[in-house]
Amino acid sequence: MQQKTDVLQGTLALMVLKTLDVLGPLHGYGIARRIERISGDLLAVNQGTLYPVLLKLEQEGAIASEWGASENNRKARFYRLTRAGRKQLQAETKDWEQTATIIGRFFDAKAEDLS
Amino acid sequence: MKSLRRFLSRLGHFATRRRDDERLRQEIAEHIALQTEENLRAGLSPVEARRQAMLKFGGVEAMKQDYRAQHGLLLIENFLGDLRNAARTISRMPALAAVIIFSLAIGIGVNTTIFSWIQMILFQPLPAVSGASNFLLVEPRSETSGYPGASWLEYRDLQSRLPALRDLIASQMVPFNVGEPGKTERTHGQLVSGNFFSALGLKPAIGRFIRPEEAERLGTEPVVVISYDYWQTRFRGSPTTLGQTLRVNERDLTIIGVAPKEFQGTLVPLKFELWAPATMTPALLGGVRDLDDRTSRAFSLIGMLKPGATRQQAQTEFTNAMAQLARDYPDASAGIGGEILSFWEAPRGPQRLIISGLAILQGVMLLLLLAVCGNTANLMLARGSTRQREMAVRIALGAGRWRIASLVLSENMLLAFLGAGLGAAFAVWGTTALRIAPMIGAFPILFPTKVDEFTLAFAIVLGIACGLIFSAAPALHLARLDPQNGLRSGPNTPPRSRARKVLMGVEVGLASVVLIAAALFLDSFRNARQTDPRFRPEGVLLAAYDLSGRNPDDASDREFAARLLERLRSLPDVEAAAIATNVPVDLHGIPGRPFTVQGRVRTELGQDRAISNTVTPGYFKVMGIPLLEGNDFAEMRDKASPPQAIVNEEFVSRYLNGADAIGRQLQARAGTFTIIGVARNSVYDALGEPAQPAMYFSYRDRPSYQGEIHLKTRSGNEAALTSETRAVLRELDPMLPLYDVRTLSQHIDRNLYLRRIPARMFAVLGPLLLGLAAIGIYAVVSYGVARRTREIGVRLAFGATSKRVVLQIIRENLGAIAQGTAVGWLLALLISLHVFPNGPFDSGVFLGVPTLLLAVATLACWLPARRASQIDPMAALRHE
Repeated sequence: MQQKTDVLQGTLALMVLKTLDVLGPLHGYGIARRIERISGDLLAVNQGTLYPVLLKLEQEGAIASEWGASENNRKARFYRLTRAGRKQLQAETKDWEQTATIIGRFFDAKAEDLS
Repeated sequence: MKSLRRFLSRLGHFATRRRDDERLRQEIAEHIALQTEENLRAGLSPVEARRQAMLKFGGVEAMKQDYRAQHGLLLIENFLGDLRNAARTISRMPALAAVIIFSLAIGIGVNTTIFSWIQMILFQPLPAVSGASNFLLVEPRSETSGYPGASWLEYRDLQSRLPALRDLIASQMVPFNVGEPGKTERTHGQLVSGNFFSALGLKPAIGRFIRPEEAERLGTEPVVVISYDYWQTRFRGSPTTLGQTLRVNERDLTIIGVAPKEFQGTLVPLKFELWAPATMTPALLGGVRDLDDRTSRAFSLIGMLKPGATRQQAQTEFTNAMAQLARDYPDASAGIGGEILSFWEAPRGPQRLIISGLAILQGVMLLLLLAVCGNTANLMLARGSTRQREMAVRIALGAGRWRIASLVLSENMLLAFLGAGLGAAFAVWGTTALRIAPMIGAFPILFPTKVDEFTLAFAIVLGIACGLIFSAAPALHLARLDPQNGLRSGPNTPPRSRARKVLMGVEVGLASVVLIAAALFLDSFRNARQTDPRFRPEGVLLAAYDLSGRNPDDASDREFAARLLERLRSLPDVEAAAIATNVPVDLHGIPGRPFTVQGRVRTELGQDRAISNTVTPGYFKVMGIPLLEGNDFAEMRDKASPPQAIVNEEFVSRYLNGADAIGRQLQARAGTFTIIGVARNSVYDALGEPAQPAMYFSYRDRPSYQGEIHLKTRSGNEAALTSETRAVLRELDPMLPLYDVRTLSQHIDRNLYLRRIPARMFAVLGPLLLGLAAIGIYAVVSYGVARRTREIGVRLAFGATSKRVVLQIIRENLGAIAQGTAVGWLLALLISLHVFPNGPFDSGVFLGVPTLLLAVATLACWLPARRASQIDPMAALRHE
């Protein structure tokens, strides 16, 4: 169970970074909505899990946050990507693509390739 | 880098936890509000919109927990929580906690105290001297008579012949009479080579030290360096002390400097107050020939290795140098080699006495601490078991195994640290109390031990080790607990714990090792006291006088002694009186001197040596040493008789093969003597020593400026003679002080002082440990019995007699205890065989201690067992 959360959190962090990269500063709810829309089910149940991830990223310095006003003028905390976060995103994107390629190759592999 | 940043940020958040919680709350509220609005827009009812928003968000509490785990320092938070919890738990069991903390404190305190001594010897053998452990002893060694010390001329030769050593320092300890005649005060100092202070790297508190050139020419530089304490007490620390003159042994010495605060000389634990150039020796010691006589080995040498040089190198050079000296001066140096030794290997003197046994003591005390740990583990285990339910609830509510273990660990660690803290306090008290020993002989003694950061670290490490040791069993036990089982099992289904019994056995085993060691120590100490010294110490008063300030010559010394004896013998309570140069069983031993005796041809190189004491007629009567053959010495004023000597049995059998000794000529450095008597062997240096050859000379032939008065009383109340003796001396010479007045029994006791410290420690710790073991056993058994109340009730209901029940409980527990005792007994036997390979088997101790231990253990089992057996079976069956 622990492991599954780790994987989830790892991918979630990447999704958060990508979302902020594409859309610019956004509050927690906004991020959750975007990710939900793109990922389908992944965050449908527990949107709350997003916040620990946001905190972790902030502690690592990948994102920064400040209070601001939301669309309907409510007080909301806005997160934005920092320079370090952008670098991390690039690196992790590359890593992820590499891993995906390797795993993909394994899934494509036939019995004779593995023997 | 990233993790460091996270850590710092977490640390920050840890401090501002409340504000961060507020932020999270706001964010969640915001998130849910936005989602609710969204849902409203999708057409849900307000209530349903909010409900759906909440559902979608997920478990708020779990998320918050997760968030906090990310946010703060979970470990520290948990730790602080545990600590609070531990403090609460401990405060709920004050009696048990007190027993545990106190016993740990004793164990840790004793170990720390002993460690401070070991540390002193290993790392700081010379207080105030930095890098003192780099200094080595340079000890000439005679094939036949141990380590005689070095002569001054030898020192001068060695200085240039040991290139591996940086500065070779020579020193000799001497008694000084300081002050104007009539007001003199006895103190001690060292006569030192010119490089003494510079080689030790000392800086004077004020003034300067002795310069090398001041110890070059004989007796020309009457200067003296005083100790810091002496400066403070006698001169009130005044800066004008410099340049003042100090009257020492009737010579005026100019004070040129004050030694640094803690410096007490190079023969720790002896404490010296004055340092004068070695070249002042003849002037200060009434013309002794220490400086030009190679057979007068009065100096001790120490030196520091040059950078890059090895001890092996120094040893080789020393061996070669001594071999060369033996060829050049066969009379004085034949058969004398040498050894380079560390301070802790000191072969003679006071240091030797401390070191021997200290390591064993530490080992035994560590075992004692281990036994205390075992006891504590047992108590905690017994207590832990009653908390099974609590722990099961915790586990069921989701506490991890590690959390449970850390909970138990933190409780025990808190106990251990409290124990270590109190133990350190004990150690501070102990080292201070043991620092100042009573004067041994006339020498002031100061052990420069202190509780510093090393010793404190040692105490803390001991505390941590103890905590871990006695936490392990209960923590494992509870962490392995199955929550289902733990919740279900009431007090009726006792899970039999083997761990408790094993622990009980181990503890009792360790206790028996320590108790046997303690008993052996005490026994050897008592034996030493009861060893027949082969002289009679009862009813003998000792007192010393010193005429060195009177510019004495042989005739005046002899006349003084004769008149003193006449007056003393006329005192009504004096049965016999004598004067001698040496008192047996002295810390510094009685000197051995070379001789040749008629009828003995020595085949090997070197010289025969025998213990030598110069005594007046009447000495053998005072000491109760019978003369086996011949007569006592001629009277002091007798001018007709030739120089006389009396030898002992061992002398006759070793050097004369038992032939008739009377009438033979004995040649010593002081002249030729005729043997007129044979005395029975007695003890000279230490109680229990093998027989040593000895020769006695007469005061009549070899008068001395100093003497130890020996008085034998009629009434047996020797201490009452003190004032009369003082009065007699005052009549003879109103200015002369009488010093070091003590009874012969006291004298012997004082020299057993260093053996008495461990003996006292054991005398206190032994019963304490026995008590602790009893408490431990009692706790375990009464816990076990309490858990089996129902079973016992059933037995009683079915007709078992209470006696049977009691016997069964005792039998069950005594099995483990007996096994532990047996193992401990064997271990103790092995250790004692290792330490005293030839020692006699002390059957009293080896039978008595296990018997006592088992008796106490049986009692500790019996008490709870009896209580259990006396319950009403009906009440027991209803017991839930």
